[in-house]
Amino acid sequence: MPENTQEGFIDQQKVLDNEEYSIKNTQSIIQKAVDWFRARSMFVLAYGTGCGAIEMPPIFTSRYDIERLGVVGVATPRQADILIVSGYCSYKTLKRVIRSYEQMNEPKYVIGLGSCTINGGMYWDSYNTIKKLDEYLPVDMYINGCMPRPEALIEGFVKLQDNIRNAKSEAGYIQYRENNAFYRANQEKIFGKNTTPTFEENFAGMNQ
Amino acid sequence: MIEFLKKHYEIVEKAPRLYKLQIESDKLVEILSSVSINSNFITLSQIACTDWIEDEVFALNYILTTKERDKNLMVEVRISRVHCSLPTLLNLYPQAQVMERDLHEMYGINFRGNDTLYDFALENWNEIPPLRREFDTLAYVNEHFDFRIGREDNKDVKAEVKRRKAQAKESKDGK
Repeated sequence: MPENTQEGFIDQQKVLDNEEYSIKNTQSIIQKAVDWFRARSMFVLAYGTGCGAIEMPPIFTSRYDIERLGVVGVATPRQADILIVSGYCSYKTLKRVIRSYEQMNEPKYVIGLGSCTINGGMYWDSYNTIKKLDEYLPVDMYINGCMPRPEALIEGFVKLQDNIRNAKSEAGYIQYRENNAFYRANQEKIFGKNTTPTFEENFAGMNQ
Repeated sequence: MIEFLKKHYEIVEKAPRLYKLQIESDKLVEILSSVSINSNFITLSQIACTDWIEDEVFALNYILTTKERDKNLMVEVRISRVHCSLPTLLNLYPQAQVMERDLHEMYGINFRGNDTLYDFALENWNEIPPLRREFDTLAYVNEHFDFRIGREDNKDVKAEVKRRKAQAKESKDGK
């Protein structure tokens, strides 16, 4: 696979950024309008996994006030659109994160905050911390840094809004639904068969 | 208070407000009950464990604090690494429950009488306890995870930084 090399990855990004290849051209006008509205109303689940969670209170309070971009914090996964995995994610936390993610209603997006979600960061040789978040959950936006400033997180939100509005790439939740076997296999590699209820059970009634 | 303890036990003064007492593991409960009754070292603030793999022992330090929080007493117990087992201190200090559970998970030490020694921070852990020194963390990580491309250039860059600095200095002096 070409995307397994660094050059291949860069080429793939170029293709995704190109206007001609974007999904936008194949979308209906209603879908475009829906995406436009959707980008202006993002509800974030108030859940912090690691040390990066300390960057979220300044964003939601008066200093940076991200509500002006339509980003609001909510209490439960059922109401949320966005899950921020903020910092390192241990096995025990990851299990809870997956449960929360599967309870969220579609459309839903995942933001990986900090170096630890990208390649392990300073926990690269830890026995209990995952190294690549996108093996277990589809990540829509990565924000690197250890740890990123609130400005970086705001830029990540703006980029994600841009991606949603212009439908530059396929959203993560669609990938999670379509390639569920891949994600489930990776999750079972570390949890065994204990990750109940399964995604199929959750969505059994959806296709009928 | 410390004078009373000094009369009965061999207490060493490690620092101005830090005392140390080394005891046998079978007298642990007896001596700690006596200490908590006869002195004002009433709080168990932590249980620290050190793995001396060379001597094949675990050194457990029960760190006690006075009511005024001004003095600390370390009670050291040495146990074998192979059949590591100790009596629980739940009856003396209720907070020992979490500390013993943690030590059981990280070192595999069995605390007799504590019935809450099930999974704590590590769930579904099937390897040897990870803080034992024979556990090879790097080998475990290499076996269980694959790293993202780009991680392999994470090399020691000190020599390269030195070379570049010297180069910059040379070019600056040349000008």
